[in-house]
Formats: sequence, structure tokens, C-alpha cells
Amino acid sequence: MNAVLLPILPPLIAALAALILRRGGAALALAGVALSLAGSLWLLAGVVDGQAQPLILPGLPDMPLRLVAGPMTALLSVAVATVGTFVLIYAVGYMKRESGQARFYAVMSLFLATMQALVLAGDWILLLAAWELIGLCSYLLIGFWFQRPEAANAASRAFLYTRSADLGLYVAVFMLIGSAGTSEIAASLDAGVSASTAAGLLLLLAAMGKSAQVPLQDWLMRAMAGPTPVSALLHSATLVAAGAILLIRSAPLLTPEALFAVGLVGGITTVAAGVIALAERDLKRLLAASTASQYGLMLIAVGAGVPLAALLHLLAHAAIKSSLFLAAGDFQHAREGTGFDQLKGVGRARPWAFAGFALAALALAGIPPLSGFFSKDAVIAAALSAPGAVWLVPLALAGTLLTGAYMARALRLLWRGSGDTRPVAGTGWMRAGIWGLAIPAAGLGLAFGPLETMLDLPAPETAGMGAILSGLVAALGGLALGWLVPVKRLLGPAHQWAESGLVVAGGLTACIGRPAMAVARRCDRLEDHLYAAALGVGHAAVNLARGGERLEQRLYLAVLGVGRANLAVGRWVRGGDERGIDGLIFALVAGVRALGARARTLQSGLIHHSLAISAVATAVLLAILFSASLSF
Amino acid sequence: MLPLVSLTLFLPLVGAVLILCLPKPTARTVHGIAIVSAALTLVGALAMWLQGVSGDGFSQVEELEWMPAIGAAYRVGVDGISLPLVLLSAVLFLVSFIYTSSLRDRPRAYVALILLLETTAIGTFTALDGILFYVFFEVSLVSMYFMIAGWGHEDRQRAALMFFIYTLLGSLPLLLAILGLYLGSPDPTFDMRAWIANPPLEGAAAMWALIAMLITFAVKIPAIPLHTWLPAAHVQAPTVGSVILAGIMLKFGTYGLVRFALQMTPEAFREAGIVVLVFGVVSAIYGAFAALAQTDLKRLVAYTSVNHMGYVIVGVSAAALTLDPAVRATALDGAVLQMFSHGLVTGALFFLVGMIQERAHTREMGEFGGLLKTVPLLGWSFVLAAFASLGLPGLAHFPAEFQIFLATLGTTPIAVVVILGIAIIAGTFLKALRETFLGEPRDRWNKMPDLSPREILAVAPLLVLTVATGVAPSWVLDVIHRTTSALVL
Repeated sequence: MNAVLLPILPPLIAALAALILRRGGAALALAGVALSLAGSLWLLAGVVDGQAQPLILPGLPDMPLRLVAGPMTALLSVAVATVGTFVLIYAVGYMKRESGQARFYAVMSLFLATMQALVLAGDWILLLAAWELIGLCSYLLIGFWFQRPEAANAASRAFLYTRSADLGLYVAVFMLIGSAGTSEIAASLDAGVSASTAAGLLLLLAAMGKSAQVPLQDWLMRAMAGPTPVSALLHSATLVAAGAILLIRSAPLLTPEALFAVGLVGGITTVAAGVIALAERDLKRLLAASTASQYGLMLIAVGAGVPLAALLHLLAHAAIKSSLFLAAGDFQHAREGTGFDQLKGVGRARPWAFAGFALAALALAGIPPLSGFFSKDAVIAAALSAPGAVWLVPLALAGTLLTGAYMARALRLLWRGSGDTRPVAGTGWMRAGIWGLAIPAAGLGLAFGPLETMLDLPAPETAGMGAILSGLVAALGGLALGWLVPVKRLLGPAHQWAESGLVVAGGLTACIGRPAMAVARRCDRLEDHLYAAALGVGHAAVNLARGGERLEQRLYLAVLGVGRANLAVGRWVRGGDERGIDGLIFALVAGVRALGARARTLQSGLIHHSLAISAVATAVLLAILFSASLSF
Repeated sequence: MLPLVSLTLFLPLVGAVLILCLPKPTARTVHGIAIVSAALTLVGALAMWLQGVSGDGFSQVEELEWMPAIGAAYRVGVDGISLPLVLLSAVLFLVSFIYTSSLRDRPRAYVALILLLETTAIGTFTALDGILFYVFFEVSLVSMYFMIAGWGHEDRQRAALMFFIYTLLGSLPLLLAILGLYLGSPDPTFDMRAWIANPPLEGAAAMWALIAMLITFAVKIPAIPLHTWLPAAHVQAPTVGSVILAGIMLKFGTYGLVRFALQMTPEAFREAGIVVLVFGVVSAIYGAFAALAQTDLKRLVAYTSVNHMGYVIVGVSAAALTLDPAVRATALDGAVLQMFSHGLVTGALFFLVGMIQERAHTREMGEFGGLLKTVPLLGWSFVLAAFASLGLPGLAHFPAEFQIFLATLGTTPIAVVVILGIAIIAGTFLKALRETFLGEPRDRWNKMPDLSPREILAVAPLLVLTVATGVAPSWVLDVIHRTTSALVL
């Protein structure tokens, strides 16, 4: 078996087995993801030795599906499997009291399998397929508690937003296949020419949907209606990550104009989502907004032409954000909710989870020597080296400052005050999950050096101390502001707007959703008119037929023939003592007779005219055939 | 060597005759005979599938003299375009008989009508003679008319009439076109193979013939604005009627579009291709929007058919417009696979909607809620079919639509706006799922029973094939591609 299947098949098999067996879902899923992790590590080891591992599967004619492991994709595969493993370990505790376990573990496993397929995809079609399937998995997981209306709505919204943006990927893929003549990603990348700006912008659109970039960020906050392990997985290594991964992988194809757009979207998002996060009243929603903001930073790095920095930040963020979410789920169980009102002082009651949360929060803010420090430094250095540095650097620094501020605010709110804490079942599993990810969140920075060597991607020109110092100042300043200054003072008049999610012009629902429904209703009304028109044409045809007296006479004869035939059929069928069809046929015959003396109603009239016309036509046909045969 | 095609074609008719000849058969016997003959037909279709097609022209051709003086004969055979549709028909009719086996209301006539319909359906796809094709094409109307009028819902008479008139009047132009092709042939014949090998008409004559064909097929497919019979017929038709109408009979139109319009008047089609393409794009997007506005589940599924068939029109016109054989093959691969997939997926959706209606006596989405909890098997089957219909990868529509859009972009880039349809259809189904299956279950439906074994047997094969076609489309595409890649226009 080709090694490239090793990360994909075990979770896929686990998903099927969990669905079929309906029990032991947790064990199956854990086994699946553990094997997947082993497989991805094996793959990475193989890639380090320099073996490319392509696998060609049957697909569309002349467009087979390909799986390829390169340094970057194998690394991402390890990241997905690692996060998946610890999230599932955590889920064993978190989901202990829930029903629907088989469904949960099956879909989680399927999610990991398709994400592995996306990461390892060697051709655009498989990438697109996996891209859409992770959308399905998130729909099923966000809507896991589908009886709750808010979960049902959030799931529908998440799928619809991302699917609509996915149209960009569809068209971009068509353009790339069209220009390269093959669906192989490597062929598109190796062609050495950049794709058209249009294709680049379409890729950006798709990435904006998945990575929740402004103005498509709204679904991500609502997606918090799903179970917390799902959020941890969505935000760190799967759904949301897919957008950034797409841009990182296709960065060589992007024209300068497209790169500029990518950087700009990222910059705007990192600030806007940072402000939204700062004003959130709910811990999970804060983390969700923070996700959008961090992916904005990654897009800045891609836009600056340094996908390596984006990749490093993606890896650091994967470990950090998943541990933050897992800790948030621990608090959620302790307090039966994730609003900051409910979570006052929960940090003191759940010290293990809080310590993990704090470590990850500081890492995200970019405090040395934690991983986020190195990755953020790389992003800022990338922005400094970019042609659009004037735009990108202030935005990146503002994003960094906001990160510090909202994380410090969250830490303050979780630490201060007091509330009733319930005992939590399954704490052991949850603690293992949190710390399994908090440790890499802290220490991953140490691995960046070797990783850079292995990836062999262009690194940012060392901007020296400038990047490090400005980033550090922004991070520390943000932490101080967030800890010391209440958010209402900090944001001033913008606070309310930020709290409502910085909605412009009523949001996408007002700008696209409602007009689409209006068009739909208009089409529906038009349908009624069309139907009426068709009936009207029928009436007109009858009247026309009435006009010609002679024609009528002939029609009558023809119709009578048809009627007689019908009568015969009717008699025959009556042998089978089935009155319904008899009645029908007799009604028909009666109608035929009546037609001769002018049809009175539209219904009986129309059909017999049609029958008549077809009879006449048949007669004409036969006459022609007959004369034709005579002429031979 | 057995005449496989003819056996497969007439087995259902033999079943129908048998049922009508038996004196006072019980309902059980009637359904038993129907299922056995449909199963044997499926065996025949599978045997044909195993025989396969060669890339060049038609395979498994069977010929009998009929009217030699005028060049009409009994000629049947298959190629990569028709063989998947034959298989689809055999599968859909078999599951329809399984589903319908609980019927006690005049089963004899009903089952005989469906068996007759099966013969005409397979006949339409396998006929290689103009007259034979037309006969099958027309006789199918009669069965469907009686099915709707005799076993439909409240307003069935009116809907049946609408359907009958529309499609009957619609098919007259095809007759003229067939005559035109016949008279234009240098050596007058109704042999469709000859018409395809050397398109007999040129210039204005070809254009008129094409226009006539397009009218007929646009009614059948149906394309905007000739589609108004479709929602009316579906809403009133019995479940099996809807399954066959959408699953098989709409393909008569798209099949004709390829077999007649594209293959017999290729030059004219190339000239008029842009117009046809526009009709396809408008159909697809309009159908999607109309579906979005529906609150009746069955009407909703009916309008998604208009959307999906719109894609087929787009694919066929892209094939007509392009000069690159590779792009043409991609477009036709997509169009033919889309027909096959639509039969499976929409068949399943109509079955499931019918099962809901049988239990609840309503199809209004607003009346339901939380059905996923109440009837999980039915609910999850619907979720799967809905995601298949909205074109999710791994399910049957994705490879088809992907190829259609890819070829469209390669031919007429602007027409790729048709892809908006897949976002609108996604919205349509998400809304339907949310209102019907998600949310708090209502007390009213607490007693609703989940799928019975009979219902599972009816719908499961379609869902399995939907997944199989989505995950490994090559099992169908290899057959289709063998013909489309060798197609000379």
C-alpha cells in the first residue's frame, strides 16, 4: 500500500465502522486517528529522506485523482493528525453524557480523513472534492444538536456561506485546468507562469469563505452552537485552516495584484475581527473571532509573498487555538455555559485547564519564547519586506496589539470574580487533551528552524530587530491594555458596533440572502402566470379549432376512430373488472362524442383536439410513407 | 447468441400481457409478476452492460425487416450514451415495483401500465430507427397519462391533461423533423445510424429540423418557458409516477437532444448553439430560484429537476459549440452522467417525499420539524439524497456537473455563471432540511413510523448507486467516454 494513504484510510475506516457497529465509536475513532498520526509521521520521515510519494487513483476520464506527499503537505498532515488525536482524546471526556455518540465519532473521523485528503491532494479535483466534503462534515458537526434551532441555523449558515464562496474555487480550478491542460496541482505550479489575476481572486474568494475573512466572517461566530471539540477542530486544523492552506499552496500562482488583494483582505480582517473579539461577551465567540483575526495575519503573510511565514503561523495557531477551545469546553462544563457572566472566576476553580488556557493565550499574543512569538515575528517580517509594507505592517501590528488585548481581557474575566462550579465528569480525558496541545503550543517555536530547512521555501529577508521589537511592543501593549482597561473605555463609541459584529449595511443576509429570496418569490409568481398562460393557449387552440367548420367535420371523423379504439380497449380492460379505468375510458369516449357537437368545457375539449391532431398527423405520415413506398 | 437488447426491451411487456391475461389474479400475484419481470429486465440490462460498447458507433445491434419499401426496420442497439440510461431505467423500474407492491387500489391496471412504460422507456433509448423511436416516445405518454389521471392526487385530471397535451403537441414537431431527415436522406431510410453517419440535411432545412427537434425536446426536458406542465404533473402524480417521470421520462428529452439534435444536425446546432446554451443557463438558474421559493417538498424537488436538466442542456450545447474533441468529450461525459445521476438522486428524493406524504398527508415544510429525530432512517436518507442533489463531491451529481462546468468554461467562459445554480440549490435544500428535519420534533408526528423493509428496499439501491457513482464515477464514465471520445460531428 502506498504510504500516502496511511493518514487517510484509518479514520475513514473508523468512520464507517462506527456507523455500522453503532457502538465503540470513541475507541474506533481514537484508533483511527492514532494510526493516522503514525501514518503521517511515517510519511513525513519518508519525505525528509527526499522520496516523493505519488499515488494515482481513478477519477474522471483523462483526469485521474492524485495524492502526493511533499514536505509541506506531509507536515500539514502531521498537524491535522496531531490536533485530531488530542481533540478526540478530549472528546471522550467531554461527550461522555451525550447521546448520538456513534454519529459524533463517525463524522469526526470522516472529517479528519477528508481533511487529510485535502492536505495531501495532488490534483485540483480531489482538492475541490475534499474542500466541499469538509463543509459537509462541519454542517453535520455544528448541527450535532440538531433539535436546537440555533444549532440548525448555524449549521445551515456555515454550509451556505462556505458553499457560496466555494464557487470561486470551482471556477478557479476550471481556469487552472484549462490553462495547464491537466488537473495536476504540481503541473499548475511548475508551469512557472502565474495564473490570471481573476483566477487568483477567485481562489481568494474561496479562502475567504472557509477562513471566515471579512465580509464572510459571520458564520464562524454562530458556529459556536456546536460541541466544543468540534470548534477546536474546525478552527485549528480543518475547516478554517483549509482556506489558508489553499492560499499557501497556490501562492506561486498569484499575480502581484492578487497578492495585494490577499494581503488587504487579511489585514482588514485581522483588525476588524480583532475588534469584534475584544467586544465579545462570550468566551467561545471571542475565540471564534480571534480565529478569523489570526487567519487574517496568515493572509497578510501570503500577500506579502512569504507563504512560509503563513505556514508557521498556521501550525502555531493550530496548537494554540485548539488548546484554547478545549480549555473553554472544560469551563463550559464547569459552569453550564460560555458567557463571560457565567465564567467569572472559573479559572481559580479549574486551575489545570486555566493554566493551559493562559499558556496558549500568551503564546497567541506572541510572548517569547512561546510559539506564537516566532510565527508572528515571521509574519511581521514578511509584511515589512513586502511591496505593500505601508499597508500591511500597520495592519499586522494592529492585529497583534488586538490579539494581546482580547486575550488579556479573557484571562482577566476568567480569573476575577466568583461563581458556582459544578463537578465535571471526564476531567482526566479533557485535561490530557488540553495539555497534549498546550505543550506544542508553547514549544513549537523551537522546531521552526529545522522545519524551515526541510520546507525549503523562501524565508522573509531578515528585517532584524525591527520586526521583533515592534511585534513585542504591540503584544505587550495589547496585553497591558486588555488587562487594565475595560473594553468599553478601550473601544469608546465603537463598542456597540463591535459587539454587534461590525455589521455593515445589514450584513450579507440583507445584501444577498433577502434579494435572493425576493428573486425566488418573483420566479414563483411568474410560474403562476406561465401556468395560466399555458392554459390560455389551450383555450385559444380550442377556439381556433371551433372556427373551421370543415376541419371540425374531418376532425370529428378522425376522433370518432380514436374513440372507437378507446371503446374497444375499454371493453377489453373491463374483462379485468377494474372499474376505475373503465370509467375513465368511458368518460373519454363520451367526451369524444361530445366534441363532435362542440366541446363545452376546456378540459374535455382540449385533450380530444390533441388526440385528433395526432391522429391527423399520423394519417399524414402514413400517407406520405405510403406514397413514398409506391414511388419505389 | 441471445438477442439481449430485444429480450430486455420486451420482457416488461411480456409481464404486462401475462398480468392482463390471467383471470382474476390477486394483488400479490400481480406485484409478484411485475417484480420478477422487472428483475429479469435488470438482469438483461446488466448482461448488456457486461457486453459493453465499442467506441465506434452502436453495439449489440439487432435488426429485423419491417417495412423495407420505405427503409423502416426494427433496429435496436446501444452505445455509451444510451447504455447507462437503459441500466438506469431497469433499476428505477424495479425499485418502483418494489415500492408499489403495497398498492391495493386496482393494482392490475396500474402495474400493467408501468410495465408498458418500462418497455417504451427502454425502447426509446435503444431504438435505432426513426419510426420505432417515435412510436416508443409517444406510447410512453399514454401510460403516464393514465397513471396520473387514475392514481394521482386531488387535482389529477387537470394535471394529467396538461401533461398530455403539452407533451403530445410538443412531440409533433419531432415527427416533422423525422420526416425531414427521411426525405433528405440520399437513399431514403429511417435508419438513425445512417442519419448520424451522414447528416442528411443542410442549411435552412437542417436549421428547421433542429428547431422542430428543440421544441419537442424542450417540452420534454423541460426547458424554460415550456416547463409549466412539470410541477403540475409532479404534484398530482402518484409517487411512482413522479419517480419515473423525473427519473426516466425527462431523459427522453435530453437523450433526444444528444441523439437527434446534436448528432443528426450538428452544423445547425453549432450555429444555434449559443441560443440553446442561453436557454440552458436560464433554465438552470430560473429552476433553482423557483425551487428556492417552494414550501411544498414535492414541488421543490420538481423544480430542482428543471435546474439539473438545465445543466444537461448547457453541457450538450457546449459540446456542439466547441471544436476541440477533448472538450466535447468532457461536456458530453458530464451531460450523460448528469442524466444518469439525476435519475438516481431525484428518484430517491421523490420516493422519500412520497413516503413522508403517505405518513403525514401533507408535504408542506412548515408543518414538520425535527423529523430526523422522529424517523431517523427516512431523515438521514433524505439528507444524503439532498446533499447529492446539491452536488456534493462523493455523490453522483458532482462528477457530472464538474465536467459540464469545466467544458463550459473552456467553450463559452461567460456561461459559467450557470454555476450560481449550485449555490441556490444548496440554499434550497438547506432550508428544506432545516424546516423539515432539523429543529424541535413536533408532538403531532410522534407516532410516525420509520421506513418499512419495503421502503428501504425501494430507496436503498438508489442511494447506494448514488454513492458508488460519486466515489468512483469511472464505472459509468468509462462506458460513456468510450462513445463520446470517438464521436465525430
